[in-house]
Amino acid sequence: MPSEYEALVAALKLTDIPFAEYGWNRKPEGAYGVVTLDMESGGLDGDELKQDRSWEASVDVFFPLISDRADIVATVEEVLTEICGSAWYLNSNQHETNPSLFHMEWVCEVQDKAVS
Amino acid sequence: MPAEMSFEGMDEISEMLTELAEKAQGVAARGLYEGAGIMRDSLAAEVKTIQTAPFRRAVGYQRLPSPEEKAIVEAGTVGIAKFDKNGSEVGTSVGFSDAGYARAGWKNGAMKPIAQVANAINSGTSFMKKQPFVRRAANSAKARAESAIRQRIESDLEELIKD
Repeated sequence: MPSEYEALVAALKLTDIPFAEYGWNRKPEGAYGVVTLDMESGGLDGDELKQDRSWEASVDVFFPLISDRADIVATVEEVLTEICGSAWYLNSNQHETNPSLFHMEWVCEVQDKAVS
Repeated sequence: MPAEMSFEGMDEISEMLTELAEKAQGVAARGLYEGAGIMRDSLAAEVKTIQTAPFRRAVGYQRLPSPEEKAIVEAGTVGIAKFDKNGSEVGTSVGFSDAGYARAGWKNGAMKPIAQVANAINSGTSFMKKQPFVRRAANSAKARAESAIRQRIESDLEELIKD
């Protein structure tokens, strides 16, 4: 696993939002999040030693109350900035009608390097 | 004493540049079409890699899409949107927006909007694990698409300059 991805998971799990990797077997009540390592991104050209590779990870948060949106956005984006710098973006902003949940998805680029 | 310089043939170059500017949008559109085709094929191939599991109503957990849900997405034609032209700029998108509906393959299956099912699988939902096949397709095809666009534009420009 890329070291930055592991750092991202660890940092998200320290927030007030419950996070799981790849999916929940028993979803918590209220807001919850999912973090996944999606694919090799090709954002950096790997050399023959496969150094300087990068991957895409995504962070999804599901929450029932629109009033919680600002806090959730601030929390997630603070972690993304700390771990990934500026290499992240908000990919989608959706709403499920049944159950009524807002769903926000961020995509970020992570590398395998020492995290300070 | 001021130096004087003169150039010949500027009228011809000026005409060529004017003609190029007029035909730039067409050149860009033809190039973009090549790239969009590669992107479309990549997305259609990536749909086939969607992982599935037999349907079980998900209570409290996130499941994989069922084979029937994957079949709904496979039934849709991945399309290239009508080109958006603005001056010399040309843009388009590739996806399921106009893919229509497909009948779900279970008993009393209703007609489902293909784009909605594709989005549920791609982004994930509160009851379905995400499989970002659209981003995978885009990432894997991006370099080839850019190369195809560049090659087509360069070849069209060479033809224009020759004429």
